[in-house]
Amino acid sequence: MSGLMVKRDVPFPLYDVGILSATDEQLEQVSADMSLALSLEEMKTVRDYFRKEGRNPTDVELQSLGQAWSEHCCYKSSKPILKEFVFGIDRDDVLSRGDAGVMVFDDDYGYALRIESHNHPSAIEPYGGAATGIGGILRDVVCMGAQPIGLADPLCFGPIDHKGELPPGTKHPRYLVSGVVSGIRDYGNRVGIPTITGGFFFDEKYTGNCLVNVACLGIVKRADLAKNYAGGPGEVMILIGGRTGRDGIHGVNFASADLTATSDEDSRGAVQLGDPITKEPVMHACFEVNAKHLITGMKDLGGGGLSCVVGEMALDAGCGADVDLEKVPLKESGLAPWEIWVSESQERMMCTCKPENVQAVLEIFEMWDVLATPIAKTTDLKRTRLFWDGAPIFDMDLEFLTGGPVYNRPYVLPEVSTREKERFPELPSDDKVILSLLSDFNVASKEWAIRQYDHEVRAGTAIHPMVGEMNRTGPGDASVLLPVPGRLKGLAAAIGCNPWFTEADPYNGGMSCIDETCRNLVAVGARPNAFTDCLNFGNPEKPERLGEFREAVRGIGEAARELGIPIPSGNVSLYNEAPGGKHILPTPMILGCGLVDDVRKAVTADFKKAGSVLLLVGSTKDEMGASLLFRRFGGEQGAVPAVDIPSLKRKMDGLLKAMDERLVLSCHDCSDGGLAIAVAEMCVSGGVGAELDLSGIDLPCLQKKLYSESNGRWVVEVDGKDVTRFSEIMGGDAVPIGITKGDSLRIKDNGTAVQVEDMRKAWSSPIWDVMGGAAE
Amino acid sequence: MKPEDVKVCVIRIEGTNCEDEMAGAFEAVGAQAEKVHLKQLIKQAPAGLRRDLEDYDVLAFPGGFSAGDYVRAGAIFAARIKAGMGSEVRRFVEDGKPVLGVCNGFQILVELGLLPAFEGTMSDVPAAALYTNDSGRFECRPTVLRNDSRGKCIFASSIPEKKLLTIPSAHAEGKLLSMDPDFVQKLEDNDQIVFRYVCPDGSPARYPWNPNGSQSDIAGICNPAGNVMGMMPHPERVMTRFTHPDWTRGYISEEGDGRVVFESVMRHLEKR
Repeated sequence: MSGLMVKRDVPFPLYDVGILSATDEQLEQVSADMSLALSLEEMKTVRDYFRKEGRNPTDVELQSLGQAWSEHCCYKSSKPILKEFVFGIDRDDVLSRGDAGVMVFDDDYGYALRIESHNHPSAIEPYGGAATGIGGILRDVVCMGAQPIGLADPLCFGPIDHKGELPPGTKHPRYLVSGVVSGIRDYGNRVGIPTITGGFFFDEKYTGNCLVNVACLGIVKRADLAKNYAGGPGEVMILIGGRTGRDGIHGVNFASADLTATSDEDSRGAVQLGDPITKEPVMHACFEVNAKHLITGMKDLGGGGLSCVVGEMALDAGCGADVDLEKVPLKESGLAPWEIWVSESQERMMCTCKPENVQAVLEIFEMWDVLATPIAKTTDLKRTRLFWDGAPIFDMDLEFLTGGPVYNRPYVLPEVSTREKERFPELPSDDKVILSLLSDFNVASKEWAIRQYDHEVRAGTAIHPMVGEMNRTGPGDASVLLPVPGRLKGLAAAIGCNPWFTEADPYNGGMSCIDETCRNLVAVGARPNAFTDCLNFGNPEKPERLGEFREAVRGIGEAARELGIPIPSGNVSLYNEAPGGKHILPTPMILGCGLVDDVRKAVTADFKKAGSVLLLVGSTKDEMGASLLFRRFGGEQGAVPAVDIPSLKRKMDGLLKAMDERLVLSCHDCSDGGLAIAVAEMCVSGGVGAELDLSGIDLPCLQKKLYSESNGRWVVEVDGKDVTRFSEIMGGDAVPIGITKGDSLRIKDNGTAVQVEDMRKAWSSPIWDVMGGAAE
Repeated sequence: MKPEDVKVCVIRIEGTNCEDEMAGAFEAVGAQAEKVHLKQLIKQAPAGLRRDLEDYDVLAFPGGFSAGDYVRAGAIFAARIKAGMGSEVRRFVEDGKPVLGVCNGFQILVELGLLPAFEGTMSDVPAAALYTNDSGRFECRPTVLRNDSRGKCIFASSIPEKKLLTIPSAHAEGKLLSMDPDFVQKLEDNDQIVFRYVCPDGSPARYPWNPNGSQSDIAGICNPAGNVMGMMPHPERVMTRFTHPDWTRGYISEEGDGRVVFESVMRHLEKR
């Protein structure tokens, strides 16, 4: 450790760090030695601050700044771009933009939504990383006063059958998938919240840096909606839940840098340990103190631990805080004050309450056997002050501490994939193409994972993640929950993301993610109501990566704004780069929520019977760029599907009206693999074939009709007697493409025929075959 | 007894997680259900929160992962009950009051020795166990159950014999096994087999219709007196048609298949 650190003469580990007269070199050295991850410029700002204070900082203060000013905590690279494009899409049914967004559900209830990433911990320790990801997102919802009702976990990995060398320090995708799924299963199932949707995205570019995004929905009585900050000065801060230990130290800094070949050894301490059986009573107790209005605010301890939560809860109330750090209950003795202050140990929450309510609050936690300890008081001074047995060890201006730097970093706009340069691949016959696309890991059945997650606990799952004949199911578009027992109003959740589009054309890719999310929601009869986004991108200090980020965010923001759909919460995860600087596919993961007024009118994607009429809603264009067909068969370039919001809105309104009139037997959106795969999946889940005649689609090439992934499209099954009315509602947006019939998918245009059973096999087995333990 | 007078104790400890829907299911058939922490029943709670088991008419053990299931599913919860209120539970059962255990609750009843209870009310050591599923995995999937009770079990008393019910399963340890070579025969002889997994057409179940490999496809059993029942599948999850897995493919009634289990116990109590 550099000679600038002077141990203070106190009976506990505390250092004064002599930065006031330090050279640039020494400042950089301090940042490196203490793992602060602060740049030289940032260190100079810190030095200037302490010069004004007239003293050197303590190690606790510097560590606290390292946390608060990390990319993870202060969004220093992304904030200007988010501000420009996605912030401020307002609507009067946004109830809160706190730790989770909260929207109006009905007159009495609000629903909460939030997504975040747990990428880097999961790359090192997939089981613990994923499990604590679930723990963290649950707390974000709980601290709104909301009962969690559903989890969603979109995940991105390298191909699970990866052969050959892996980048140094990288774990095999199959191992990562297995660990992450087990982590989600064990935490989600144990804590009793259903995992209702998600997604798997497989690509070589995720091999060195997998993505684990976790989302949670909750339901809260509007009268019980909690705040995430104190009510004012003179209140008591009570630390709730797990004890504090050395697990999860510097997690935010680890999350704000690229992975390296030695991340495993260097950063294992940054991975926290989760405990769902502690979490469960913590949730109950928090709801009880909140419902009894004994507390003024609550917030979870996530990135940065105490160092972030104390300051934020105080500052958002216009206050400061005095903390007695020695009161924090520890897992082990001997932790230095700075470690206690920044530890990200799991299962902890903080609440604030008036002094007269402390006793009542503590009694409730005692009843639930949950540790609860008053550790701080809010003050009318906008400073955080820390004491150890009365001795001052930290005294900083809160606005300086939590303000953090903001960067307008340089970016270059990416070159996008175009139709002019398109090279259409050589294709085998269409029956082979269809079976091949169905067996792509990105399309193939995820049943191996889905059935390990309890997706029905809480007894509110109305539309399940897999749909169709029992135990012969196919893929659904969105899941629907019944959040309030006894009421038939549904809350739908769906994931939308196309990282391949986003790589080939970030702006259209970003818009496409929104389009896909809306399509999925509308396919089950839900009106899209809100989005939450997890923006997983590469190193923002590289202008190409930041350019991708900027363009994708522009696409998302413009689409959401034009739709008038707010994004009341979100998360940014940058520095997703593998050892050696290989970046991931730019991955804007969208979770959309939609409202279903009467769940009895919800629709699923499985064909319901033979003899119905099939219609394609939306127009199919020559947009083959980054399509599954091209990726699988070696096509190059091509136009990435664009988004036409006015037309999307019109089609959504039409479909929802048709569903409300009960004209739609089944509905499925066209995404990976285009129209052909959408119909194939409906055959598989419904156990019925189809006979297609695509002459009504206005495009010269049959293969483009079949496999183009143009946005804004759905396949709809309608009973013959209802076709006239359906077409009347849809105007020119729906074109007949065939009927349901027999036990194979037939394409009359060129005589293709594929057995439904062969499609089922091609779709069902690939992931089971690799992950093992396949059903007989 | 009138339905609204029926008081149900839905018992929980840390890690119990199906108590809301269990209480909701009893309320849906007209009873009063209270979620009660074990601590409240064994005098470890503040005075105002203490409860007496004998004030209740039904005891329900909901699903979940009580105490994390870290030793063996249900073992810790069962040990705490035996230590803290074993005699109260025994008296409750001997009074003929209904006791229901679902999923982890079933595992607890077996650990407690309340099931199968071939001799006496509550055996000192468990006579059976719910082992890890044959697949080695947690299995969340639809299952079809056949009512094989010949009339003894309170919880099946309003279900026509051999009637099929779609009630979902979600567990990793549901394979009922015993060291006793005559286990199944004894259950059969005593009319203790309540539900069996079957295929949707009623034929004997194969995986995945028997999701765990349970002997003789047993999904739920009762005690010889018929007032204690444990089952792995979750009837409380299908009180309405609209939480069934395939209702969009057509349905006759808006009632879910699980409802009749709760109605059975209410009708039984009405007669008392």
